[in-house]
Amino acid sequence: MCLALPSLVTELLPDDQAKVELGGVAKTVSLALVSDVAVGDYVIVHVGYALTRVDPAEAARTLALWDEMQAAGAPA
Amino acid sequence: MEFPDTGIAVTLSTAQGAVRRVSIRSGRLVRAAALFAGRTPAQVLTLLPTVFSLCGTAQALTGLTAMETAAGLTATPATRQARRILVLAETIAEHGLTLCRDWPPLLGEAPDLDAARRWKQDFGAIRPLLYPDGDALSPGGGRLAPDRAALLRTAAAGRDLLDHVLGAPADSVLADAAAFAGWLKRAPGACARLLAEAGWPCPLGTPTPMPPAGPADLDLRLRTDRNGDYLARPDSAGIVCETGAFARRAGHPLVAALNGFAAQARLTARLVDMAAALRELAGLVQDLTGQPAGPVSLTDGTGLATTEAARGLLAHRVSLEGGRVSDYRILAPTEWNFHPDGPLARTLAGLTADAGLERRAVLLVNAFDPCVPCRVTVE
Repeated sequence: MCLALPSLVTELLPDDQAKVELGGVAKTVSLALVSDVAVGDYVIVHVGYALTRVDPAEAARTLALWDEMQAAGAPA
Repeated sequence: MEFPDTGIAVTLSTAQGAVRRVSIRSGRLVRAAALFAGRTPAQVLTLLPTVFSLCGTAQALTGLTAMETAAGLTATPATRQARRILVLAETIAEHGLTLCRDWPPLLGEAPDLDAARRWKQDFGAIRPLLYPDGDALSPGGGRLAPDRAALLRTAAAGRDLLDHVLGAPADSVLADAAAFAGWLKRAPGACARLLAEAGWPCPLGTPTPMPPAGPADLDLRLRTDRNGDYLARPDSAGIVCETGAFARRAGHPLVAALNGFAAQARLTARLVDMAAALRELAGLVQDLTGQPAGPVSLTDGTGLATTEAARGLLAHRVSLEGGRVSDYRILAPTEWNFHPDGPLARTLAGLTADAGLERRAVLLVNAFDPCVPCRVTVE
């Protein structure tokens, strides 16, 4: 399955690019498919593109739940 | 926590001018849904649309329907119609992204990101036009208050955008084999150029299209899958079905006329699927009626639900005990099409090993539409 977790936008770069971070790992992705993204927003990333913007509260909920699930049982 | 990107690796071993062995290895986390055990249905319905980046709507609605089935509930016709519209919109957005973002780079051309963004934003955002209160994922269905005019405008804009992307009216391009061949010859854009290149004779083997609601033994196989083997490498009585746009549209005259051209037939089926989804969406919107939210609570039980998502059959099987998930299994379409002995593997095995092998393999992989990055190696 194409699993993805919300990544935090840490820096806006030229040419519709941005730096995002998830669990201490940073990546540069394209923002060409999403609108009005600012530093501090969360986005869902797939093959180098931010696909959707996620509300920060929902992102926090998702990440906390995912952490909790990973602690409860190792994924296959 | 890390970027859970996982991919598929396709390796072709060649000898004496032929492909001798096809190896498809997948790093996909097919058993990740097991982590849902112990969570509440509401928590799972929060996670599903977010963690599945491409088919979040289909995932969430399939999970919701499986939970409703477990509780012995059947959604009303209007709710089912609205959910179908949501899945069609996601299918249109996914195909549109592929056409505009992914196909031009296969030709060494720049992606059409303006068009890609319009597919994603117009069709990825229709939920509020059906469920203004944001309760589409409420068990029994949220408050359905369709904005028919806005939905029809979105469908009409989608038809115009498809014509624009194809460089000609989709209805005439896809009408029959002669019109299609004329379009390939004129090649008014990247889509036509890619489809023309994909038109080399390549036998389809004997593809077995997925039955509409999945294989007859789906529930049994999911239930008895002790260690995830079925989730990783599904079959039905030893047969690995093909699922997705090509399987859905195999009976379309143009797709049928491209029999013998495996890559071209599948890429074309994507266009046929898009045009059909746009028509079906508009038709469903025409006679969709509103209805109040159904205050429904879920109860314990086991339920199976399937959805024809953009890339094919998606199945969720959920068991609820004491108001929490005790078991959760998801079988996704990529596991059928990219099965080590599945339709892609069988098609690759028939290729001639010459200088163009890697290129043809890449086109075939794209024709089978993986939902994760897929690397091709020839050795």
